[in-house]
Amino acid sequence: MKLRKQGKIDEKVFAETRLRRGIYGQRYDNGQRHDGKRVQKLKLPAEVIKGPDTLWDAPGMMRIKIPFGGVTPEQLETLADLSEEYADGVAHITTRQDVQFHFVHIDDTPSLMRRLAAVGITSREACGNVVRNVTACPLAGICRDEAFDTTPYAKACSKFMMGHPDTQDFGRKFKIAFSGCQQHPCGLVTMHDMGAIAKTKIVDGKEKRGFEFYVGGGLGSVPYKAKLFDEFLPEEEFLPMAQAISRVFARLGEKRNRARARIKFLIANLGIDEFRRLVLEERQKLSPDPRWTAHLATVNEQMEEALKAGVSLNGSERPEGFEAWYATNVYKQRQPGYVAATVTLPLGDASAEQLRALADIARRFVKDTLRTTVEQNILFRWLSEADLPEFYRAIRAIGLGAADAATIVDVTACPGTDTCKLGIASSRGLARELRYRLSEKSLELDQAVKNLRIKVSGCFNSCGQHHVADIGFYGINRNVKGFQVPHFQVILGGKFRDNAGEYGVAVGAVPSKRVPEAVLSITEYYVRRRLRDESFQDFVRRIGKKEIKDLLEDLTKIPAHEVGPSYYTDWGDPREFTLTDMGTGECAGEVVSQAEFALAASERELFEAQLLLDGGRPQDAVKTAYASMLRAAQGLVKTQNPGISEDEQQILAEFTSRFYDTQLFWDKYAGGKFAEYLFKAKEFIGAAKSADADRAVQLLQEAQLFIDAAHDCHNKVRGAVESPVKITTAAQPSA
Amino acid sequence: MELQKINVKFFATDPNNPPLTDFIDLFHGWIQATDGVYHDVADYSHMQAGPGIVLVANDANVSIDETDNRRGLLYSQKSPLSGSNPEKIRTVLRSALKNCRRLEEEPSLHNKLKFSGSEALISINDRLAAPNTDEAFEEIKPEIESVAQTLFGDADITLERDPDPRQRLNVRIKTSRSLGLGELVRNLQND
Repeated sequence: MKLRKQGKIDEKVFAETRLRRGIYGQRYDNGQRHDGKRVQKLKLPAEVIKGPDTLWDAPGMMRIKIPFGGVTPEQLETLADLSEEYADGVAHITTRQDVQFHFVHIDDTPSLMRRLAAVGITSREACGNVVRNVTACPLAGICRDEAFDTTPYAKACSKFMMGHPDTQDFGRKFKIAFSGCQQHPCGLVTMHDMGAIAKTKIVDGKEKRGFEFYVGGGLGSVPYKAKLFDEFLPEEEFLPMAQAISRVFARLGEKRNRARARIKFLIANLGIDEFRRLVLEERQKLSPDPRWTAHLATVNEQMEEALKAGVSLNGSERPEGFEAWYATNVYKQRQPGYVAATVTLPLGDASAEQLRALADIARRFVKDTLRTTVEQNILFRWLSEADLPEFYRAIRAIGLGAADAATIVDVTACPGTDTCKLGIASSRGLARELRYRLSEKSLELDQAVKNLRIKVSGCFNSCGQHHVADIGFYGINRNVKGFQVPHFQVILGGKFRDNAGEYGVAVGAVPSKRVPEAVLSITEYYVRRRLRDESFQDFVRRIGKKEIKDLLEDLTKIPAHEVGPSYYTDWGDPREFTLTDMGTGECAGEVVSQAEFALAASERELFEAQLLLDGGRPQDAVKTAYASMLRAAQGLVKTQNPGISEDEQQILAEFTSRFYDTQLFWDKYAGGKFAEYLFKAKEFIGAAKSADADRAVQLLQEAQLFIDAAHDCHNKVRGAVESPVKITTAAQPSA
Repeated sequence: MELQKINVKFFATDPNNPPLTDFIDLFHGWIQATDGVYHDVADYSHMQAGPGIVLVANDANVSIDETDNRRGLLYSQKSPLSGSNPEKIRTVLRSALKNCRRLEEEPSLHNKLKFSGSEALISINDRLAAPNTDEAFEEIKPEIESVAQTLFGDADITLERDPDPRQRLNVRIKTSRSLGLGELVRNLQND
């Protein structure tokens, strides 16, 4: 930090250096903020920057790794202290079992890191293009269905990969997850860059441990399901294979174009067979490393100890609310007399006082057998079942006794516009609102609805894991009669079970303030129309997107700005969402640009593509999706060249020269990624390749993102250049 | 011991009124009324006994804090202050009281918010510099006592340290009679 202040370290190098130590920039770190009326320059000394466009003193986020979610009471107390002294008094559990602090000053981070290290935690490689926190099923070791406890493997993997020379030259981040079983969601293996599902098989009459081994999954803007690399990778081969994969990824992975740099793209390009061949070839070149197998000597030993003997619940007195909480938050361990209890943290937040109280509760009931979860909660393991009433009283006393774990009420959300500089809409604001409303109705909810999961991301980047929710949302913005309005794209039918077994599909955008109504509408419709025991995924698939879109149609509309200004703000944020002062029509006639017509048409065409895909016609779906992208591109070109023809080549050429080459279409953070979706689709169509369902789904998702980006681009350039036409409505007054 | 990162909390007389979320709009209004002093408003209204609504700034945060289920205005000085320890404590108390008065006088709250003038909590938000020990308390007690006596005029005062060693060095000042905010501000100004 001293060298940076002296100008002796390049800003980009410093940025990656701090990122690799878990220190992120945060919203407004460029020193500017729109206060709802004007852009304010924040009062910060601006002599030094901590990375491109990032002021030294701007508030930052600190991400702290919690490998496999394992955390002790002592660590909780330290996190509590640090959240008070260096952040805003809150520790936030993330969707990858990490802990985050917000509004941290970079000058405080060395002390913060030292104090974390004193209790065995690190923020090293929590961010940056490295191996991120290694996650694992929080039930590992106590699960009734697992093949074996994956905890020691996750721990060894985390230690081995962190700082390893072969993991330091990636083009992008790399995420690893472990699961003990195939069917349950806890590990979410198939949405990871590398994932392992515990498996055993009999070899020469002896049980042999290994993993069903996956690579190349990932969410992000376009989700990829991981490919099966090996049906049974022996336990002793896990770490060397991970090392070999790292080497291949570092050598062949994209480095210049961040948008194509995750390993999923490399594997998609090479094909899983060629990728496997390269990795196995690399594996042969590795010199043996004793760390590959050092942990195997103790993997069969019980890692955790219970504080008390396991005694079943029997007839002990139960406090009010206990039964409901027991039904949703308690899991019977495979060890008789023991249970695991989920303490749900609203939006993943715990105050310093709550963390200290949880540490006390842990010492009283379970020792140090706690895990953070990807649903942003804390799991207490090895509770004697007989202690549950007292345990429940203790957590209720600190405001954490909600009976809603793994239900629709326990909404997961990324930080979104609260603190993330990529956020488009307020994911936490929406999650908070949904939580309030659904909590109120919780007792009357049909069980089928109660079991659904809602996940919210503030943008397309999927940190809220919206793709694997029954009902998912990601933030976008839309122009409504000259005003920018926060919206959420609705994603339905994702599957959290089966290790993130299926990704949901977009069914349309709903204004942010109408999302709670949309949730109500969708869930009521599900209860009314579902077949006996029909899952939500099957229901969505059966009724199809058209019916769902029709269902939501009314909810896509909002009152005019002067009638309902609150629709033009986001949840928990009174600022008007628009960043520019837009004029509205002086009469009932609305000014609509040619581009807006084209963008609306592109949305319709994309919807047609989705219907074609539903109808089992992936090839036609791909062509129509490409046409929808072309329509959106044409709309943008019309803002500069109203006479643009329908000719594909001309549209592409003019889009490229006017919007891509000039970077007008570029996203501030994603760069030219969305435009490249158009070029890639063109290439795919041009090569006359046949599209299977997977490729078609991907291409349709890319088309949606391209159209969303076209909306953004249009919002950015409108006002400066546009070609408006007047639409006459019935209400237009006479001149 | 050189004190920095001093927090001061004045408690509200009504813990539930006005609703916590009312402060979100209000603080956004404060942001609009200043010129780049504040960074953002953090909404923790979903938490029980949490940090409440926080108006974040570079030098000092202002929050409607609900820790220990006791609502109050918490002023958290973050950037270093100059002067002696009593001077720094006085500076933070003044700033906290200024914000309390601003809130009490805020028209949109319709006189629903009042602060108690018989109690204040001073926390040293730095366990490394000021651990919560008897020794540290004895060291800073005379300094806090002198400022507290000035703040509360001729009222009898008592100073209590939080006995939980895990907590920060929290010193609760209580008086035998309640003073209005105006009087508290005047007492500090006259010093």
